[in-house]
Amino acid sequence: MSAAIAIGPADPRYPPRLLDLAHPPDPLWVRGEIAVPLERAVSIVGTRRATGYGLRVARELAAAAAAAGIVVVSGLAQGIDSAAHEGALERGRTVAVLGQGIAAYLARTNARRRRLAAEIVRAGALIAEYPPDAPAKDWTFARRNATIAALAEVVIVVEAPSDSGALITAAEARRLRRPLYAVPGPIGVAACAGSNALIASGEARALTGAEMLLASLGLASDGAVRRTDGDTGRILDALAASPLDPDALAKRLGLAAPALAQTLARLVISGEVRPCPDGRFARR
Amino acid sequence: MRDRAPIATDVIGESRSPTPEVKVRAVARVWACALWGLETALVTVEVDVANGLPAFVVVGLPDAAVQEARERVRAAIRNSGYEFPLRRVTVNLAPAERRKEGTGFDLAIALGILRASGQLAVDVEALCLGELALDGALRPVRGTMPRVRHALARGIAAALLASANAGEAAACGADAYGFGSLREAVDHVAGSARVAPTVAPAPAPPERPAVDLADIAGQETPKRALEIAAAGAHSLLLVGPPGTGKTMLARALPSLLPPLDHDEALAASAVHSVAGLVDPRHPLLRSRPFRAPHHTASPLALVGGGSPPRPGEVSLAHCGVLFLDELAEFSPSVLDTLREPLEERSITISRAGGAATYPARFLLVAAMNPCPCGHLGDPAVECRCLPDAVERYRGRLSGPLLDRIDLRVNVPRVPYERLRDEGRESSATVRGRVLAARERMAARLVGTARRTNAELTVADIRRWCRVDDDGETLLGAAIRERRLSARGYHRLLRVARTVADLAGSDQIRADDVAVALLMRA
Ligand SMILES: Nc1ncnc2c1ncn2[C@@H]1O[C@H](COP(=O)(O)OP(=O)(O)O)[C@@H](O)[C@H]1O
Ligand SMILES: [Mg+2]
Repeated sequence: MSAAIAIGPADPRYPPRLLDLAHPPDPLWVRGEIAVPLERAVSIVGTRRATGYGLRVARELAAAAAAAGIVVVSGLAQGIDSAAHEGALERGRTVAVLGQGIAAYLARTNARRRRLAAEIVRAGALIAEYPPDAPAKDWTFARRNATIAALAEVVIVVEAPSDSGALITAAEARRLRRPLYAVPGPIGVAACAGSNALIASGEARALTGAEMLLASLGLASDGAVRRTDGDTGRILDALAASPLDPDALAKRLGLAAPALAQTLARLVISGEVRPCPDGRFARR
Repeated sequence: MRDRAPIATDVIGESRSPTPEVKVRAVARVWACALWGLETALVTVEVDVANGLPAFVVVGLPDAAVQEARERVRAAIRNSGYEFPLRRVTVNLAPAERRKEGTGFDLAIALGILRASGQLAVDVEALCLGELALDGALRPVRGTMPRVRHALARGIAAALLASANAGEAAACGADAYGFGSLREAVDHVAGSARVAPTVAPAPAPPERPAVDLADIAGQETPKRALEIAAAGAHSLLLVGPPGTGKTMLARALPSLLPPLDHDEALAASAVHSVAGLVDPRHPLLRSRPFRAPHHTASPLALVGGGSPPRPGEVSLAHCGVLFLDELAEFSPSVLDTLREPLEERSITISRAGGAATYPARFLLVAAMNPCPCGHLGDPAVECRCLPDAVERYRGRLSGPLLDRIDLRVNVPRVPYERLRDEGRESSATVRGRVLAARERMAARLVGTARRTNAELTVADIRRWCRVDDDGETLLGAAIRERRLSARGYHRLLRVARTVADLAGSDQIRADDVAVALLMRA
């Protein structure tokens, strides 16, 4: 990986939207291939302790935005952030904003996110407002969350419990007058309490799908939601909310196990359904 | 060995001696049996009592325990009312090329000395096995069963042993005589007080399986996986929240397996004999072993070892089931030791005295929670684990171990109202299908040492795993899109073969491939 470079607010490569902040990061440390100004960007954030549904939605929204040429910004934490980066990497570019120095992050994160960080450097950039070896502190994450809001045109909270750091990003988005969306989640699930509260209070609009996200960025979606008929469509619908074990799936669809097995196997092979390590099945 | 006279005691008589100073020289021979792992070899204990300074030497590669036999035998002979010859006593364990271990040679050495010194007037025409206490009491030894069977195969029908081992020997078909002391054994051989041969103990009444499939509510997919595992001897991992019946399902597995046949019963019992775990009232196992070592078990307890070596749980589970409950709680280094037995179906413990090999052909069933708190995917309790913690938890299971698990299914929480559902299949019904499938497998593998689909070689797979057109399409897509490794491909076909066998089909159909794919996707 190339070394990080430091750019100041006067630098033409400095992302102009950061100047909206009361105290723009100076300098900004960047490591990656991307042209940093980030003309078109959306931030997708949420809890580390996400549900299977939240992870899928984050991935799908990010992929749709990236496919439309929008850079997806997030914080490279486990959970929703990682899902957003992964989704974006499938179709386009993404930027991760770290709450500590870039080298410090890479030195202490786990192998999986180190791999993810390497891919982000190739298809985007790692950004930090702290020198490479600066360690993480509580307040560095709070500032980072505000920076994520400032970098984007539109901010999306996928899932956030009521004490989530993602709510700092949401508050900053309001202050900076960035359009703020939250993905509605089920009542009674802790991971969705904070994001649902944003919708209830009117601070955020309820996001109902990738088309709405693209519309908020002034783009048309690349096509209608693909409709699949028959058992295939019914299986995908049944798995939309959360991963299921085959018995529950068969029961919900009123299908006999053998009839289900072949269709489900085909969906697994085509990659539309993903087997979980615990033996359940989830929508990709 | 067969062409030699089985039993002999040579007495070089005084009458032929040209000079009167030459005293009686006698070489006595008594049969014993050496044991390495489950490997056995007949040993001739040759005893020579010669003129010279009093000495007692054991040659023929004895290990430390056999060397110590000198002290036990000397004291036991004296304390039984005999004389220990105050001459030069040489004991040779022939053939001498391999190291002999353990205390099982004591009785043969003592009887040989008594015979060679003229205190026992007749030859000992039997296999002699047993450890002597200093007071002359005869103690049982481990490994009676394989040793007696070895002697039987070499035409030695009688065995003299400690009373506690006599049942084991009789169960193998030997004329077994059990004694409490050296004195009783001598009196029997001399004819002054003969004991009756031990009657072979009646086989144990068949054990009632711990759990019947009908006891378990819901869980159709896990039960199906259990049936497939039982039929093809495929290893199985059950994953689910606590209290959903994983342990129950695993304990129901023996109720689905075919009964032990005679060879299997002998093989499994022999391992138990070597481990010293034989029930003297019922020496021959009737039910398949079900071993469930705790997750704190040491590598030694799991795969065997030590000095003298003992078989571990993997070998005690030979011909049966090895159940690893709470799989993620086992230490990774302990799980790593399972690779060899899973791959080789045996375990070799190499040691200074030469390697000991124990059989380990077991059906592996394991259970674990999906995450550290146990509630990932549990509708009843919200999971509080961070994704990284879940990944670390699963990472404890090494790839090589997971790679050797054929089937993996989720065991979900059964809704309360379905705990009372009706119309569940009993183990007997499912076992009927398992037996029919096993017959199909056996017919295919006739003439080989393999019995089940889990053991199919790559050549077997090429020959026996023909897939119909729809199945080929599915399989082709799986190979392309999921980048199946060669190992993964063969495992898939073995399992699909079993699914087809359960359905009574010679061809593997798309449905069978799909089931195999979903249970190990
Ligand atoms: N599917 C089921 N059908 C009937 N009883 C069940 C079932 N699942 C759990 N139980 C009850 O709960 C107890 C605990 O089950 P167990 O097999 O030990 O669960 P686990 O190993 O998954 O934690 C059992 O002894 C049984 O009484
Ligand atoms: Mg349990």
